[in-house]
Amino acid sequence: MSDIINQFLAPALMLFITGFVGAMLKRNLISLFMCVELMLCGAMLALLSFASAYDDMRGGVFTFFILTIAAAEVAVGLAILTRLFSVAKSVSGNNLGNLRD
Amino acid sequence: MDVELYSILLLPLCSAAIIALFLRSSKWGGATVSVTSAGIALAMAVAAMLSDAKIEAFESRHVLFSLGDFSMNFGVLFDPAAMNMLFVVCFVGFLIHVFSVGYMDKDPCKGRFFAGMSFFMFSMTGLVLSSNLFMMFVFWELVGFSSYALIAHYADTEAARAASKKAFIVNRVGDVGFLLGIIFCQAKFGTTSFSELSQILSQNPSQASTLMGLLLLCGFLGKSAQFPLQVWLPDAMAGPTPVSALIHAATMVAAGVFMLVRLSAVGMLAPDVLDTVAILCALMAFFAGLWALGQNDIKKILAYSTLAHLGLMGVGVSLGYDLAMYHLTMHAFFKATLFLVAGSIIHACCHEQDIYKMGGLFRRMPLTSFVGLLASLSIIAIPYFSGYYSKEAILAASFGKAHITGAVFDQIVFWLVMGAALLTPIYMGRLFFNVFLGKPNSEKAANAKESGIFMILPLLVLGIYSLAGGWSFAYDIFWLDGKMDGLLPSAATQFVGNMLEVHMPALESVQGAGLLAKLALSLTVLGLLAAYFLYGRNRGYDTLQRNVPILYDALKQHGWFDSLYDWYVAKVQQRFAVLLATFADMFLIELLFVRGIGAFCAVIGYGIKGLHVCSANSQVRWFAAGALLLFLLFVAF
Repeated sequence: MSDIINQFLAPALMLFITGFVGAMLKRNLISLFMCVELMLCGAMLALLSFASAYDDMRGGVFTFFILTIAAAEVAVGLAILTRLFSVAKSVSGNNLGNLRD
Repeated sequence: MDVELYSILLLPLCSAAIIALFLRSSKWGGATVSVTSAGIALAMAVAAMLSDAKIEAFESRHVLFSLGDFSMNFGVLFDPAAMNMLFVVCFVGFLIHVFSVGYMDKDPCKGRFFAGMSFFMFSMTGLVLSSNLFMMFVFWELVGFSSYALIAHYADTEAARAASKKAFIVNRVGDVGFLLGIIFCQAKFGTTSFSELSQILSQNPSQASTLMGLLLLCGFLGKSAQFPLQVWLPDAMAGPTPVSALIHAATMVAAGVFMLVRLSAVGMLAPDVLDTVAILCALMAFFAGLWALGQNDIKKILAYSTLAHLGLMGVGVSLGYDLAMYHLTMHAFFKATLFLVAGSIIHACCHEQDIYKMGGLFRRMPLTSFVGLLASLSIIAIPYFSGYYSKEAILAASFGKAHITGAVFDQIVFWLVMGAALLTPIYMGRLFFNVFLGKPNSEKAANAKESGIFMILPLLVLGIYSLAGGWSFAYDIFWLDGKMDGLLPSAATQFVGNMLEVHMPALESVQGAGLLAKLALSLTVLGLLAAYFLYGRNRGYDTLQRNVPILYDALKQHGWFDSLYDWYVAKVQQRFAVLLATFADMFLIELLFVRGIGAFCAVIGYGIKGLHVCSANSQVRWFAAGALLLFLLFVAF
């Protein structure tokens, strides 16, 4: 059992950290978006590994929901990005201050 | 009994509502409805009093609403004191209603006037029948409102508008104290019902608190226009004369005395409160008599005379509340008569009110003048006229108290009252000689004609009561199986009569009582002679004003109270109001609280805005930091 956890948890953690660091550093909003997806993937991998290790369906089911929601989120998010591009002529995440003032 | 009393109470209200809603512009409709309702109310009141020779006190109570432990009761208390007062109110009220039909015949706003009169009758009946202080306060304010509305009847004149406001505001000053006293009473005894208070206080008379008594006294000072709140009553004469007769002479101003009688009867007024009443009212009785000599307006002279007699009633309360009720009843008869006589004259002289422009009216208006003579003899306390009995009783009681206690205080009160008894014939003589005797001093007076039947009939009836009203109390003239006592229902006379039977022998046995009666009578004669020599020759001007103008002006200023209050309002109250407006309102509330809170939020907002950065990455960092913080918090706790 612990083999499975060791085999899969390390990649899951790596995926998450990659996503997290990327989200902190990447300026391009599309890259940032992909980094967020990476973090989600890491979390889902961890869920699946625990699910198979404990032979429990719930982790798998939960993953399905996350995937579904992530897909919907991507659809909405990309739509926002295209609108943003048509307004600001850029997809950089550096000057999103319109709502501040 | 409940139904009958409530019909007496609500009938005038219905009349007022009908007139105000449908008959405002009707020529005779308002008068008809109003007079009919007053007549039916009188008939029902008399029928209730005649239903039995000796009626037990009747009390009913309905809960109006309750809040927790406190419940507001609405109930009627029909005891001997209320019967006495109710008879006065309904009887004098009805006659004045009839008189008004004649007096107001050419007035364009008759509907409003009669609606006001009916509303006043409703409020006054409610006040008389109130079984507790809260209900009394409600009707107390309603009579105040009716007075305000009726003084302002001639609202197109500046004087009437100012007078109505003055009456209302001065009364409010007294009513604040009255309301505080009622709340104090409720807090201390847990009830304001007269019968329950009577039970509590008869077991333990020492519970009557001086402070509470003084607070309740404020209501009396405002309503009955005594020191230092007397300034509104002379100005209130700007209203129509029937209003002055009904509200500002016979009934409403006497409601203050009635309230004191009620409180005194249940034992709420501690001895030192009664002493305060005695000295304030004795001063008023004396000085109002003096000030009456500085007035030329016939109604104002009568107004000062009302002040003086309300003062006498106040002294009566301090000596024994039955005496006050006695004088209240007699005063209602003769003072209403005098005001109606004045009204009849004013109506005949085309609204001329200056006594030095009248004169010679005895020949032109014989009936009015004859009734005026009866009422004048009654007010100056000529023996066998009704005013004599009550005034004599108060003088005797005051003399007796001063004699028994021997205190300087009681001596002062006694001599002030004696002074008032001397002044009454002087100012009444001044009025009578100049108005009725001699020759007319103006064209209006020369053309005066006797008034119509609507004015003469009530005058004659009231004239008879000014002459003979006192006999019911002083002697036992029972008829109709003892249900009537002289001219009054015996139910209405028993309150005073029962107490007098106890008090009078004691008063008459005081050493020198016989001498006192002779002294009082000789003072009256002396006053009349003085009035004759000073004012009797109908010169068309005031002797005092011509010869000693300084003294006359001093009297005319009636104690400079108006100037004092004007100074107070302009210099003290106005400045305080400005201070409140600038400091409390504009600085504290507007600047500090309202704008201050806004500015505070704006400053905080600017600070927080600085934390917001325009980069998605730093938002992620903030998010991560926040998540970390939450995680640490969860781990820590």
